Amino acid sequence: MCPAQELRDREAQNRLHHFEMLPGTEKDRRPKGDPSRAVKEYSRPAAGKDSTKPSDLRPPPVLLKTVNYLINDIAAAPSLYPWTEVYTFVFDRLRAVKQDMIIQRMSGLDCVVILERTVRFLIYASYRLCGEPLRLYDPRINDTHLQEYLSWLLDCYMTKTGPHPNQEEFQSLSLLYNLGSARAMQHTMQLPLRLRSTPNIKLALSINQAFLERNPVRLLRLAQKLNFLQTCALHRHLLTCRQDLLLIYSHGYSSRNCRFPLDRLAKLLFLDASLTAQLCRSYGVEVNKDNQIVFSKAAFTEPGQGTLHCKLYHSIASEKQRDLTVKSIVQSCVETNKK
Amino acid sequence: MAHITINQYLQQVYEAIDNREGSFCAELLSFKHPHVANPRLQLATPEDKCQQVLEPPYDEMVAAHLRCTYAVANHDFVEAYKFQTLVVQSFLKAFQSHKEENWALPVMFAVTLDLRIFANNAEQQLQKKGKGQPSEMLEKAAEQLMSCFRVCASDNRAGIEDSKKWGMMFLSNQLFKIYFKINKLHLCKPLIRAIDSSNLKNDYSPAQKVTYKYYVGRKAMFDSDFKLAEEFLSYAFDHCHRSSQKNKRMILIYLLPVKMLLGHMPTHQLLRKYDLMQFSDVTKAVSEGNLLLLNEALSKHETFFIRCGIFLILEKLKIITYRNLYKKVYLLLRTHQLPLDAFLVALRMMKVEDVDIDEVQCILANLIYMGHIKGYISHQHQKLVVSKQNPFPPLSSVS
Repeated sequence: MCPAQELRDREAQNRLHHFEMLPGTEKDRRPKGDPSRAVKEYSRPAAGKDSTKPSDLRPPPVLLKTVNYLINDIAAAPSLYPWTEVYTFVFDRLRAVKQDMIIQRMSGLDCVVILERTVRFLIYASYRLCGEPLRLYDPRINDTHLQEYLSWLLDCYMTKTGPHPNQEEFQSLSLLYNLGSARAMQHTMQLPLRLRSTPNIKLALSINQAFLERNPVRLLRLAQKLNFLQTCALHRHLLTCRQDLLLIYSHGYSSRNCRFPLDRLAKLLFLDASLTAQLCRSYGVEVNKDNQIVFSKAAFTEPGQGTLHCKLYHSIASEKQRDLTVKSIVQSCVETNKK
Repeated sequence: MAHITINQYLQQVYEAIDNREGSFCAELLSFKHPHVANPRLQLATPEDKCQQVLEPPYDEMVAAHLRCTYAVANHDFVEAYKFQTLVVQSFLKAFQSHKEENWALPVMFAVTLDLRIFANNAEQQLQKKGKGQPSEMLEKAAEQLMSCFRVCASDNRAGIEDSKKWGMMFLSNQLFKIYFKINKLHLCKPLIRAIDSSNLKNDYSPAQKVTYKYYVGRKAMFDSDFKLAEEFLSYAFDHCHRSSQKNKRMILIYLLPVKMLLGHMPTHQLLRKYDLMQFSDVTKAVSEGNLLLLNEALSKHETFFIRCGIFLILEKLKIITYRNLYKKVYLLLRTHQLPLDAFLVALRMMKVEDVDIDEVQCILANLIYMGHIKGYISHQHQKLVVSKQNPFPPLSSVS
């Protein structure tokens, strides 16, 4: 998984990751690399550097093996290190995999499998690491890469050297992850009807329609029907949906004498009562001592950046995770789905 | 001038370049001109002949053009595209060396137009054989057009008369065509910005401006900026030449949904005149608040609407259809305190089965928020209380 020269260099420069050290030598002044665990790291293309040297490139079967190793043995394995550390390592090594794929202009089924696993990993990471400090996890960077992998994958599907058994799953993930994007929806609308009418894509489309009609009540209800990974893909939009709901209700119910019961609102938002009250207050929406909400269009304010923590409102996804393991999420979401 | 010899042809090209006759030169390099069907010019190896008469890089350009006519005669568009790329590249070399003059702009228009067309044809040919990545050819053609665009846009030294900037709008339009086709609308943005900041933007030819506004209007539509979309598309429609019925129809396909969203419904005659009866039921459904008919009309003409890329915009008409339906409820009940159940009954009549009172409230709250209804909802009394004056303001007054 790692060119011999790179392994020697990084060993000499003390640039091996914990995950790549020969067990037992970690505490040494200069730990030894484990050839069976070292993985080629990402390095920027630079002038004078020959990135096409055959001895440094991994052929497709090796790339696939590398991805499986990264997912099964690193991302999914119980680790002594925090998951942010795991993520940083896997993210970087997957990026190197992508580089090798691009240099070799890889296409075909191996390419699809690698892209699919990578996309699942990044979507899961976008949920699991949500709210981590910026130096450990940068959602923007994760998003940029995820979009690249996704559009490459969707292009692969278009060239129709199928069969692509997971196409339905990824078309719907792309639609959910890019909620409200005209481009993603136009793409989906142009898919063959046979694909467009599969349950997953239909559901993702209805969620997008609810978004277009600005109907957060419907949107959140439909979101309950999603599986775990789909919820992860959608999760970055959920806070905005709830904000939308509070915004339009602040206008629709704006009357001094009217009250709206907290528990009812909690049901619409799919949150528990105390979180609902907390959310209301952060938007300037008044919750009185009888647990009644007093909506007022003048009072609604958008909270400043960083005052809301998406992570607090994760229950919609976390309830679905239950005993799913990282491995089952990334390897074969479809299987777990069908049970 | 059919069937002239290769020497005569080259002599004509030579003189056209020498006299800086841009339009004539453009004809001699364009596939719209009959010379491309002249078998005496369709040569597989015209390089030597061209070198004898023309200076570099013109010899390369013309040789590639002739090889391109040869490829087209053989219906090999992949090959034709390859040579047309060479034509554009060598043209660009010459063009860049033209300091403070722009006589060659017509040539650029001709060769870049053909490049885009061949990229299109080549792609179709490859797809039929099941080869090649989708939109690979068009993307490469777009890169070529972009390099032309950069040369034009960076021509800051020449005076207005001689500026290459006059080529920017034509190239933008060609690029828009590609970007819309490959669904990469975000790439339009830098072009629009460049034209917007140019001092020539109002002085291009009417035909170019119509095309430009058409695409910028469509782009605005996808960005949900409907006011802007209406402005641009209306301009395109009003200024499009009256004999170009096909183009007017194309503009209408996008202008109609935007107008409808802003509350202006098209007349039956207009739809008939431009053969756009697909919109007829949609129009009727929206103005009557008939959700059932709207859903039927949308699914009946789904293929057409999706192909035009307006299906999602038409879906947005649902909001207005709700407004019109609810207005009917109000007119029927003749009271300012409307029970929420009445709205649910109305939706059920429209066969919207999977809604409950919570969703009705959400739809109403959104209509109030958007300004389509003046009033408020009382949860305790389960009523919508509407304003005594003008509870449903006219659509055109609500943005």
